[in-house]
Amino acid sequence: MDTKTVVAEKESSLLDAEELMRAPAAAPLVTFPLEVRVTEASRQTPAVGQRAIRPDARLHGLGQTRYIDDFYLPGMLYAKIKRAGVASARIISVDTKEAEAMPGVMAVITGRDIPVNSFGPSLKDQPVLADERVFYAGDGVAAVAAVTEQIAAEALDKIKVEYEELTPVLDPLESLKLETPGVHAPSANIYGHKIIKKGDVEKGFAESYRIFEGTFRTQMVEHVPLEPHASVATWDANGRLTVYSTLGRITLGRADIARTLGIPMSRVRVVATIVGGNFGGKNEITTEPVVALLSKKTGRPVKCTFTRPEEFLSSTTRHPLIMDYKTGVTKEGRILARQIRLVLDGGAYCSWSETTLGKACILSAGPYVIDNLYAEAFVVYTNKTMTGAMRGFGAPQVCFAYESHLDDIAKALNIDPLEIRMLNALREGSLSPTGQTLHSVAVRESLMQAAQRFGWNEKSNGHGAQA
Amino acid sequence: MVTVTINVNGERRTASVPPETTLLKLLRESFNLTGAKLGCDVGDCGACTVIVDGKLVNSCLMLAGQVDGLDVLTIEGLATTDRLHPIQKVFEEKGSLQCGFCGPGVIMSTKALLDQNPNPTLHEIRDALAGNLCRCTGYTKMIEAIQAIAREGTIERATAKSA
Repeated sequence: MDTKTVVAEKESSLLDAEELMRAPAAAPLVTFPLEVRVTEASRQTPAVGQRAIRPDARLHGLGQTRYIDDFYLPGMLYAKIKRAGVASARIISVDTKEAEAMPGVMAVITGRDIPVNSFGPSLKDQPVLADERVFYAGDGVAAVAAVTEQIAAEALDKIKVEYEELTPVLDPLESLKLETPGVHAPSANIYGHKIIKKGDVEKGFAESYRIFEGTFRTQMVEHVPLEPHASVATWDANGRLTVYSTLGRITLGRADIARTLGIPMSRVRVVATIVGGNFGGKNEITTEPVVALLSKKTGRPVKCTFTRPEEFLSSTTRHPLIMDYKTGVTKEGRILARQIRLVLDGGAYCSWSETTLGKACILSAGPYVIDNLYAEAFVVYTNKTMTGAMRGFGAPQVCFAYESHLDDIAKALNIDPLEIRMLNALREGSLSPTGQTLHSVAVRESLMQAAQRFGWNEKSNGHGAQA
Repeated sequence: MVTVTINVNGERRTASVPPETTLLKLLRESFNLTGAKLGCDVGDCGACTVIVDGKLVNSCLMLAGQVDGLDVLTIEGLATTDRLHPIQKVFEEKGSLQCGFCGPGVIMSTKALLDQNPNPTLHEIRDALAGNLCRCTGYTKMIEAIQAIAREGTIERATAKSA
């Protein structure tokens, strides 16, 4: 009889007792090599040119990486959050009595139980759970902690919320108008604004051979990390809180957790667990204050994991942009002036909108020499899923617009799309839209190399403007 | 409660679970085999992929009771104390996994593919990974890794050796 079988039999006699405790069984027999790995890259300095192996690759491949969902604290409860499902409403009442009476339900909280019900990376405009008002369909209105996830989910159905539905603001262009009712009245819907001015656009347009206009729109995008957002909270007898979380920015999260709970930051410890994909979507707190309060109320560790639908509905997304471009060019295709208006749909809360607004505006002119530029950007509230950080912070959206716009111009002027870019691209010493002198500018060389590698000239009948 | 006995990674294990328990929950919560992940809970993402009686399944869509008496192979069953499984080794060398959350599922799908077809074409590899979503890698490094194993024939040699 081999060792594996012997240990397995010993363990199986423990199983009944373990099941009574409703805790996971003892660690299974898992085998893997235990040699110490030293890669060439870690031996050499500098490591440039050496093949590097990710230090976490071994555990990932063995399935041994411990993400937040892979560990269990003794006595842990599971939390679920009830989502509003209406875009804009006044909350008349929340009745949790029936849910609280369910066997297995240990605690229920609503927005009114949150000590300081507002947080955010810049503007503190987001409630942990909606109390008086619902600002978008993904707002939480109540949360349940129960002994199993199933009971917690069932309890959500027993919570009765009465709403007075209000007309939501859904179109960012409507939201931009001053007469549109404020999403967060009395505050205005425009909560961020930026202007970049360089030269004189009117003069540039007057000197232009032709003026082109175009409007470009992008849609909302969800990060969809394979690992959903999750957090676990546990308190010690000294009133200190430990939160394990999939959060990327733990210091910011710690400040927001302390703020919403109304306790000093020194009482909060945040442990970032190994993350299963972030892409900017795990940059702010989501469920952390909720599990902390449920844990305090029950005296037991509490975990909350987003379901996949919650991931789409209640976590941040990429800003949809409406981008108006007006560009004046010479007969040869040189850009003389460009005027841009960006409207960012911020959704219900600010989140990382300010960063996105700034970056989108600065980059909206594209990597081209433009002496006369006027770029103006607005970010507005709507009653939709909030938008926040996502890879590139607004850069991919404006790139889609200025490159599409330039293609349109090239086609109309019957100029090769590569040629018009070579003519206008930034050069060594060019000034950026905000006035910095640029060094190590290799955009033209990169374009030429790329064109050569994939045979642009041979294929220009298929891709070029002459087609 | 239903009593389920499965042969998981060569060990006979028994647990008593509520009837609605999925195979994924059984593996993760009763047997502490947390390599298979819960990504979507509706069979879209493939992070929960395991092999049941030689067939690839989304363990979030299979009830524990359905697996009673069957053989289950999870990511934890691939390596030995002597060596990594060739797929694990090449995935590590080629940098095929980034955040790693989809990794166990992708490796199990790869194993099922190579067990049936040791020399797959690019199209067949893509087809085999169609049920596994990854948001980090863009799949290219995974496909390169699988092509490398097929080229080197490591799987065939490994099978011949252990047989």
